[in-house]
Amino acid sequence: MAKINKIFSNILRLLAVAATVVAIVFMVTSHDSAQVLNLTFTVKYSYTPAFKFFVIGEAIAGGYTVISILLSFKTLFWRLIVILDMVATVLLASSISAALAIAQVGKKGSTHAGWLPVCGQVPHFCDQVTVALLAGFAAAVIYFVILLCSLYAVL
Amino acid sequence: MALQNEDKLEVGYSSLQPKPKKWVLLMLRLLAFFATAAATVVMGLNKETKTLVVATVGTTPIKATLTAKFQHTPAFVFFVIANGLASIHNLVMIMGDLCGQKLDYKGLRLAMIAILDMMTVALISGGASAAAFMAELGKNGNSHARWNSICDKYKTFCDHGGGALIASFAGLILMLIISVMSIIKLLIKPKPDSTTVVP
Repeated sequence: MAKINKIFSNILRLLAVAATVVAIVFMVTSHDSAQVLNLTFTVKYSYTPAFKFFVIGEAIAGGYTVISILLSFKTLFWRLIVILDMVATVLLASSISAALAIAQVGKKGSTHAGWLPVCGQVPHFCDQVTVALLAGFAAAVIYFVILLCSLYAVL
Repeated sequence: MALQNEDKLEVGYSSLQPKPKKWVLLMLRLLAFFATAAATVVMGLNKETKTLVVATVGTTPIKATLTAKFQHTPAFVFFVIANGLASIHNLVMIMGDLCGQKLDYKGLRLAMIAILDMMTVALISGGASAAAFMAELGKNGNSHARWNSICDKYKTFCDHGGGALIASFAGLILMLIISVMSIIKLLIKPKPDSTTVVP
């Protein structure tokens, strides 16, 4: 039973690494420009601190997952893995939450603050960011299941 | 004779072990409850009204009343809901610790407490980070998207929001410590069928 749990957990960790890599790649390569009234209007992910935090958070979680896959064949750190898995889950939840909050403002705008939505002028950027956010959300959900598996392994 | 001493040592040690940790955990949960409840209340009552003169018709100025409420921003709504749920969770855990020590479900009490604590930590972290980045956007604006900052017009709203954020981050750190302690309690649970001394 422990063996099946470990194999299942490693498969989920590989999926989580794939999801974080997809999120990072799609977010980093998202840039677009548009011409509005003789002014060039460019957007990149680095113009928003929330998206930068998203990329950094996913990178840290993805790196930790790779290390934990390599270390899972040693079974020395199995108690530390539960706590570090929890830290990674919290980090992923935090980054996807922050990016979603700012992306929602970018898509819908905010009439009360006088902020116009941006997605109408730069649709390519918005599409890529949407894919990145979906991958990040999938990574967070997968990581919560990984956390439950690790907890079950030490029960 | 040696076996009896060993049994006495094991029983004495395992009954002594949870006692100092129980009061520490209870105090931490109380602090986290106060922190998250304060964040919920301060952000929930966050509202500021400003009257601006829009135009002057003859001699009578036309005034427009603008309000800044937390409901205008979905990130702040999520923040209030997340902190409210976290404070309810802490309250239920405190009640369970004080009054319901005998409540158990197939021996999974400690596991359920640990899982619920982890879910609450993830919830608080999501709410706090979304509200933090939204507040940063409101304070600094975004020159690339032509979004102006609103904190110079609504100073009290921003100050109260900042206070609620600080309380929520304090609650997050406390909940993280509580969750780690719950997991440690789960890991060092004494096994009933072993005869060796629990380290």
